Amino acid sequence: MKPTADRLVDDYLKRLDRELSDLPRARRRELTDEIAEHIAEARAGLEAENEVEIRNLLERLGDPAEIAAEERARSGARPRRAGPIEIFALIGLLIGGFLFVVGWFVGLVLLWVSDAWTTGEKLVGTLLVPGGLVPAFLIGTGALGGYSEVCGATGDPATGAELSMVCTGGPSLAARIFWIALSVICIVGPFFTTIFLARRMKRPAATAYQPSPGSA
Amino acid sequence: MVETAGRQDALLAQMRRGTLQYCVLALLASEERYGFDLVRGLAEVDGMVTSEGTIYPLLSRLRRDGLVESSWRESPSGPPRRYYRATSAGRAALEDFRREWSPFRDAVNTFVGGEDER
Repeated sequence: MKPTADRLVDDYLKRLDRELSDLPRARRRELTDEIAEHIAEARAGLEAENEVEIRNLLERLGDPAEIAAEERARSGARPRRAGPIEIFALIGLLIGGFLFVVGWFVGLVLLWVSDAWTTGEKLVGTLLVPGGLVPAFLIGTGALGGYSEVCGATGDPATGAELSMVCTGGPSLAARIFWIALSVICIVGPFFTTIFLARRMKRPAATAYQPSPGSA
Repeated sequence: MVETAGRQDALLAQMRRGTLQYCVLALLASEERYGFDLVRGLAEVDGMVTSEGTIYPLLSRLRRDGLVESSWRESPSGPPRRYYRATSAGRAALEDFRREWSPFRDAVNTFVGGEDER
């Protein structure tokens, strides 16, 4: 039975440590030490140590996420700091594509690896706009084609009617609107996404509450 | 309906959270206690603490605010323990709260207290 109990406690402490990953190292260490001591004291007081007792003990202690949320709330509710993963993800997604396109994929991988965003937010980061600013660049330089107009002087050869400038292959109104919209999305989208992701970077679960009447 | 219940839960959690620190200060005003002992003292009373582990962030907060202080002591069994005690600032904060709390509690009880209060 003993190994199971140890494993449960270890798992619990590991989970707690992970939940506290965005806190200053010293404070994280201190809090996990305190909880570990609490567990040790509680275990010492158990008449018979078995898996059920340990599970009850850990349940009374509470979900590690809850303890971490409490710590953030009590310690001033700072937003989760952006780590190197998050920063490189944002940079990669925005301009990484210019680095032989790979940079964008690096950003994409980092985006999905990070736990700072929800799945929905990650989808926004992925789809708006794939390649970051590269598509906007391509449209701007005409490399992506857009539309081409062929203009030339034409007339009706049969009747010899007057020559007139006629543009063929030009876009219909709908196509024009489509291309303008696409350009706007490609230019504005990546910036919007970068700002959106930067602001949505996971906040502590309990930011709303700010107590400390005692510290006033 | 569900949303209202959720909001009520959140409100109760906030009330509990806001008053918890004074319960901690009260327990630490007259005698010093180590973490586990303090948590057990609070958990003995129903409805005060739902997750024992959340007391530790509160203790840290109180310590940083200078309302409690701590010192390490040898334990008769096992590793040294960190003992907490209310500072004079902590006792003063507790007294302030007591002065506010009693009339407030009575006022609320006047309206929402049990049948026997009417």
